Amino acid sequence: MQHSKDESDKRIGEVVRADSATLSAQCYDLYGAPSLGALLRVGDPAAFAVVQGIRTEPLDPGRPVLARGRGAASVEQVYSDNPQIERLLTTRFEALIVGYDSSGIYLQLLPPSPPPIHSFVYACPPPLVETFTENLDFLRFLVNSGSPLADEVIVACLRAVAASRNRDKDFITRAGRALASEMTGEAARLNSILRRAQL
Amino acid sequence: MTNGFPTNGMDGDGLPAEGKAIGTVVGGSLTDGVEIRLNPSGETLIEDVKVGTFVTIRGKRYRFFGVVTNLELNSSDSRLRHSPPNSDDPVVAEAISGTMAYGVVSVLPNLTIPLLAGSHDVPIAAKTVPSHFSPAYPASAEDVQSVFGQDDDRHFWIGNPLDMDTRVCLDLDALVRRSMGIFGKSGTGKTFLTRLLLVGILQDGNASSLVFDMHSEYGWSGQDSDRNLQVKGLKQLFPSLVSTFTLDEESSRRRGSSVDELVRIGYGEIEPEDVELLKENLNLSDVAASAAFNLQQHFGENWLGQFLQRQGPEIGELADEMGVNRAALGALHNRLSRFRRYPFLEDSNRHNAAATIIEHLERGKHVVLEFGRYGRDLNAYILVSNLLSRRIHDRYVELKEEAEGNNGPDPRPLVIVIEEAHKFLNPAVAPQTTFGVIARELRKYNVTLMVIDQRPSGIDSEVMSQLGTRLTCQLDNDRDIDAVLSGAAGSRQLRGVLARLDAKQQALIFGHALPMPVVVQTRDYGTPDSYAQLTAKVRPAAVEAIPGETREERIEREIGELFG
Repeated sequence: MQHSKDESDKRIGEVVRADSATLSAQCYDLYGAPSLGALLRVGDPAAFAVVQGIRTEPLDPGRPVLARGRGAASVEQVYSDNPQIERLLTTRFEALIVGYDSSGIYLQLLPPSPPPIHSFVYACPPPLVETFTENLDFLRFLVNSGSPLADEVIVACLRAVAASRNRDKDFITRAGRALASEMTGEAARLNSILRRAQL
Repeated sequence: MTNGFPTNGMDGDGLPAEGKAIGTVVGGSLTDGVEIRLNPSGETLIEDVKVGTFVTIRGKRYRFFGVVTNLELNSSDSRLRHSPPNSDDPVVAEAISGTMAYGVVSVLPNLTIPLLAGSHDVPIAAKTVPSHFSPAYPASAEDVQSVFGQDDDRHFWIGNPLDMDTRVCLDLDALVRRSMGIFGKSGTGKTFLTRLLLVGILQDGNASSLVFDMHSEYGWSGQDSDRNLQVKGLKQLFPSLVSTFTLDEESSRRRGSSVDELVRIGYGEIEPEDVELLKENLNLSDVAASAAFNLQQHFGENWLGQFLQRQGPEIGELADEMGVNRAALGALHNRLSRFRRYPFLEDSNRHNAAATIIEHLERGKHVVLEFGRYGRDLNAYILVSNLLSRRIHDRYVELKEEAEGNNGPDPRPLVIVIEEAHKFLNPAVAPQTTFGVIARELRKYNVTLMVIDQRPSGIDSEVMSQLGTRLTCQLDNDRDIDAVLSGAAGSRQLRGVLARLDAKQQALIFGHALPMPVVVQTRDYGTPDSYAQLTAKVRPAAVEAIPGETREERIEREIGELFG
């Protein structure tokens, strides 16, 4: 599916590492990462991914960041006194691939091949989020990601999607039922996810 | 039409609409029934499914027709029991219910129908179970009809399945071919069910019925104590087909009943076996009861008349003469003297009541014998019904033997209706009474029993096992429930169904007259509409026919009957 030009405004970075299940991207702007749990569109034809971790670190791993704010009145002053900082740091994020666009149909499956390096990463606008989340099979990827933050990512994702859908209560219920069938025997985990998703 | 399940939509495989699947088969066995897990969609609430309702299961090769026998709440996480979701949070509760916590419906598959397009095979008893994950649907009206038949000449509409408008019909030929039992505790609708069955037998036209009407409620009007109104009896509904006999003319007259014949019985017709049967009620010892046989030997046919004429010391002398215990004979005389209070007993043998009844039965009539005030006297009821039945039994055996000898027509099938059956058919007396004999073997002679009782556990198990069709209203005594269900396929599952019948107008029916057990809401009886429906199908001509009679003879006889 072709996406309209104005979405390119929300281009937030590029893929710098990819495998079949996950990808890493670097943001164009320091601290310009999408929120944890946000749905992303990657490359063209599009793959869809959910942000599962964000980190900001030195561009050169050999040059660790030093504390610089002893005399500064605020964090902002630290940055303004040291304009080189923004050049030395970068924000990267990890995303879990949850589906792809197959000739205009959104399949909640892993794409046949991971997105190429340097593929552009876009934040999904609410209508696209709404369309993609009509089907909730993608939650299975989040439940079984094996990440220690998996539950937090699910909570964040549900909250983000619900926000795109004008805080649709039905969506949380529907998602809860989908999760319940994935999380057989894990009632406590499900309970905690759903409780926090509604906060 | 549904049975409480939501049934919107099609099942989408091009076959006739069956409503939406309620769940899928997840386990079970042929003996215990299959388990159906309700669909996680949550559209079918377990509260919508009721025990006793019908379900069809679409297997790979057969469609299974079964009845819901149990409902269970289950969960995939056993910890849910210990830490259930906060009920204040509807989202969590809703997400879990139907998915992690779900309903399981136990269904006993009773029948199978081959799953071939356009196949019109009749349902046969299930000898297998549906394969894993077969979808289950609420049974449609068409399903029920294909199983229980149409309400036609050979089938009698007895009631509706729970929460459905469609009709459950009994196969009338199968019904009268074997004995049947109607059970239920007092006030659950046994009498109404019996009235309906009697109308069914009338409708069938191939059998006659003889009702020993203890409380005078079948022949002429009866009382509906719930609605506080009078309901019509058989004679009022089918005047040309029903003959009423009475033991108590005054009572019949007071009730405005039109009586065809008065029943009088000669002492000579009473036999020692009758006394033997009354032993318990008369509080007679074995010795005293068996003294009646000595008396018969001594006096011959009219032993009772002559015995009762003896007074005081004569009895002692008689005892010495016959060589029986004086006290025993004294006790026997004392107890049998009660018979003198029965005006329907008389010294002469002028009236042969049994012969008159047989004559009416042979003419295709249905006979109701009203007991009037003697219905309250169990001794009179047992004495008269056993005595008359014995005569009729003898006559039918004769007729059948004649028929076999000359290859003539068989005697017209007869259904004898008795109430308080455990008094005749308890294990102590059943081997001796005529009813015991009828229940066990008289099917061969075209006579069957309809036993009505509120304590089926008191009936001899051998007799119970011979009951082809059993209709039971609510019972709450465990032993009674066991007795009724003994020998029925899936009795363990039916137990749960039976225990949960409503107190009124609901009955569990199983046996020969229908292909599978079913709980019905019995059809209405007592409103003008119901009378119209009940009488609509009965064709007098078909009932009036006597085997071997030519058409002209019959017309002549009908004219004779109509105009006297």
